Amino acid sequence: FLVSVCVVWLLCVSVMLCSVCTAPVCTNAQVGCHAVSLNNLFDRIIQHSAKMHRVSNDLHQQFELHVLPSRNQVGRGGHICHTSTIMTPNGKENAQRMAREGLTQVILQLLMAWTDPLMNLHHSSTNVSVDMSSMVGELRRGVQRLAEKMHTLGLLTDPDSSVVSPEALMTSHPVPWRLMNLYDILYCFRRDSNKVHNYLRILKCRIVPEHGC
Amino acid sequence: MAPTSSLLLRVVISSLVSTPGWTLLSDWTQTSSSAPLEPHFTDCVSREQETFRCWWSPGIFQNLSSPGDLRVFYLKKESLSSEWKECPEYIHSNRECFFDRNHTAIWITYCMQLRSQNTRYINEDDCFTVENIVRPDPPVSLNWTLLNVSPSGLSYDVVVIWTPPPSADVRVGWMRIEYEVQYREINTTNWEALEVQPYTKQTIYGLHVGKEYEVHIRCKMQGFSKYGDFSDSIFIQVTDIVTEEPLMFILVLVLGIVGVLILIMLIAITQQHRLMMILLPPVPAPKIKGIDSELLKKGKLDDLNFFLNGGGFGGLPPYAPEFYHDEPWVEFIEVEAEDRDGGGKDDSLTSDTQMLLGLTQTGCHHINLGCSNALGFPNNNLGQTSCYDPAVLEANSLMLMGSLLPGQPEEEEEEEKEAASFNDIKRCPTSAESDENKHNPVQPTWINTDFYAQVSNVMPSGGVVLSPGQHVRTQESSSTTEEETRKKENIIETEEKKQTKLLVVNPEGNGYTVENIRSPPPSTSVSPTEYQTVEPSPMSRSHGNQSANIVPDPPRCQIFTPVADYTVVQELDSHRSLILQPPPPPPPPQQSLPSCVPLKVPIGYITPDLLGSLSP
Repeated sequence: FLVSVCVVWLLCVSVMLCSVCTAPVCTNAQVGCHAVSLNNLFDRIIQHSAKMHRVSNDLHQQFELHVLPSRNQVGRGGHICHTSTIMTPNGKENAQRMAREGLTQVILQLLMAWTDPLMNLHHSSTNVSVDMSSMVGELRRGVQRLAEKMHTLGLLTDPDSSVVSPEALMTSHPVPWRLMNLYDILYCFRRDSNKVHNYLRILKCRIVPEHGC
Repeated sequence: MAPTSSLLLRVVISSLVSTPGWTLLSDWTQTSSSAPLEPHFTDCVSREQETFRCWWSPGIFQNLSSPGDLRVFYLKKESLSSEWKECPEYIHSNRECFFDRNHTAIWITYCMQLRSQNTRYINEDDCFTVENIVRPDPPVSLNWTLLNVSPSGLSYDVVVIWTPPPSADVRVGWMRIEYEVQYREINTTNWEALEVQPYTKQTIYGLHVGKEYEVHIRCKMQGFSKYGDFSDSIFIQVTDIVTEEPLMFILVLVLGIVGVLILIMLIAITQQHRLMMILLPPVPAPKIKGIDSELLKKGKLDDLNFFLNGGGFGGLPPYAPEFYHDEPWVEFIEVEAEDRDGGGKDDSLTSDTQMLLGLTQTGCHHINLGCSNALGFPNNNLGQTSCYDPAVLEANSLMLMGSLLPGQPEEEEEEEKEAASFNDIKRCPTSAESDENKHNPVQPTWINTDFYAQVSNVMPSGGVVLSPGQHVRTQESSSTTEEETRKKENIIETEEKKQTKLLVVNPEGNGYTVENIRSPPPSTSVSPTEYQTVEPSPMSRSHGNQSANIVPDPPRCQIFTPVADYTVVQELDSHRSLILQPPPPPPPPQQSLPSCVPLKVPIGYITPDLLGSLSP
C-alpha cells in the first residue's frame, strides 16, 4: 500500500513538473524543456494578441463613453499615431503579398514601438491599473521566439529581412509619443493591436493553416 | 493629463460593458435625437473588410435628390498631405458610393463629405476606419441534426451546423468571425440567444417534441461589436419519436434478467446440497466394507452384526465351507477385547486360546451382559466380531426360544443365547457356563493350547470349530459318526430354517454334553423347527449336574489322545460337514486319573474329536 502511494505521488509530481516544463517557450534548446510546436506557438501568440486587442478596445470604448459623450467633439480623424511611419500593409492583398519575413518584422516593429509609451502611461498615471506594456512586452518576446523558431525551421529564408534592431525603429517616429494625449494613445494602440492581430493571423494561416483558419 | 487620467480611472474601474462602437454611422439613429435636415450620410458598411459602401440621403432638400446633385468626397488620411477625392463609384439608384479594393485601406481614417454644387455639407464629419464598420455577412448552409432524445421522449437536443459567409475570407485569417445563434418557437416573439462563439456549430438543448422551432444566426468580427444581418431561418421540428420500442425493449430485458435471477436463486436453494457437495466435497471417511456408519450411529447393532456376519449382500461374504475346503489353514481368529487375565483361575493355563474361546469368566460376563460393543473387541484381520450380544440375533429366534422355554427364563435365555450364538466362532459362554465355571473352575485340559488354535471344523454359517486339544481327540473320534449324523440333521435343519448362518454344529454342545454324561435324548426328538430349543431342555434337566462343558465320562476317564492343533480336512460330506483326518496316533497315555477332571468344553463348542467321544 505504501509503495503504491509513493508511486502515485511520484507520478503526480512528475506530471506537474512536466506540465510546468511544457508551459514556457524554450529558447536555445534549454535542457529539460519540452519544445513547443510551431502551431502551438502560433496559437498562443494569437491568443495573446487577441487578448491585447480586446483590452485596448475596451479601454477605448470606456474612454469614449464616459469622457467623450459626443463623438464629434474631437476630430476623430485627427489621430496621428507615432507608428504611422512604419510601413504596414493596409489591405489583405498587401499583407498577403508581403513576405513572411517582412510581416514578422512589421509585427515586431509595432510591438516594440508601443512598449515605452504604454509603460510611461502605466507609470505616470497611477489610475491606470492595467499594465498593457507588460502585455506588449510579452507578445513581443513571443513573436521574437516565433521568428527564431521559423528561422531555425528554414521558413524565414530571406537574408535581408533580418530582425531590425529596435533602436533603428524608434528613431524614425515623426511624432514622438510623449506629445500624444491619452485619447490618441488609446486610439492608436487599439488600432495597432488590431494590426498586429491581423498580421499574426495571416502569418499563421500562411505557415500552419491546419487549425482555425 | 490629470483630468484625463481621472477620467481614465473611471473608464478602467467601470466594468467592461460592451457598448456600441464609436464609429459614426452605427450610433446615428441612437444618439442623435433629431434627424439632420441637411443631406447626410446614412450609413457606411464594409462586409468583408476589403470594400465598403456609403449611402447618403438628401434630407429635406428634395431639390438635391436627383442624381448628380450631391457628390461624395472622401479624405483618406494616409499622410499629412492628403486631399479630398470623389467617390470612385457611384450607384445613384441607391444613393450609394462604393469603394472597391483599390480604394479601400484598412486602419486608415476615412472622412466622408457631401458636396452639392454650391455648398459643402460638412454636417457630419463622418470619419471612420474600415475595420470598425465591418458587418459580416450571415452564415450560409444552415442545417441541423438530432443529437439525442430524452428518456421520456418529450425533449431532444439538436446540433446546428453552418458554414462561414463566403465573402468573409476566414481561410487566410483575414477575418475572425464569431457567431450568435438565436432560436424561438414559432409564433412567439422572443428569441433565445445563445452565447457567441467562433465555431461553426452549436448545440441547442431542451427542445420539445412536437413543437416547431426557428433558428437563425448572425456574425460579428472578433474584437468588434457590430453584427451583420441574420441568416435565413431554418425550422426544426421533431414530431414523433419512436420511444415505445426502446421502452418495451428495456422492459423485456429487465423482466428477463429478473426471471433469470429468480431461476438461479431457486436452483441455488433447491440444489443447495448438491451445490455444497460440488463446492465442498465431503472428506472421505474411512470405511469398512460392509459396515455402515449410519448403523453405527444409530446404534442398530442387530443390523450391524447381521451385516457383519454376512447377512446381507453388503455384508461380509459368507464363510461357506466350499470356499475354504481347499485351504486347511483357514481360521477365523477372534480376540477378546477384555483383559486376558480376567477370571483366569489357572493362570498357568490361561492362554490365548482361552481368550479366544471366551472361557474367562469376566470376559464372559462382559460378553453376556453387554456384547453390544461387539465391535469393541479386537477383530482379526478378517473382521469378524469376536463376540456378540446374543440379543443381536434375530428377534424371532429369541422370541421363539423364550416362548418355548418356561421357567428360569434367565438361564434358559442365556442358554438359548449360548445355543443360538453359533454365528460366530466365538461363542460366549453363557452365564450358566460361567456358573459352571464357577463350580468347575478347572479348565479342560484341552484348552491348554496356544493362541493359534487349529480349526477342526468349519460350519456352513461360517463359524469355525477349533480343535479342543489333544486330550479331547480320542473322545471325539469315537463319537464322531453319531455326532456327525446329528450334526448333519441339525445342520440341515438350520440350513433349512434359517437364512442367517447359525452354526449348527454346536447347539449340540449342550446336547452332546448331556449325551456324553447323561445320555440326553437326541436333539432330533425336539421339534426340528426349534432347533435351538433342543439344548436348553436337556440343559434344564441336567442343569445342576450338567456343565456347559463337555465332560468326559468319569468312569471312562479316557485319556485323550493328544491331537494336533491343526487338523486337515479330508473331505466334505454330502451334508457339507467337514470330515477331518484322523488324528495322528496318540502318544502313550501319560496318566490315568482316577477322578478325571471333566473336560470342560464351552457350550456349543464342539470339535470333531468331541463328537466322537460324545456318541451314545
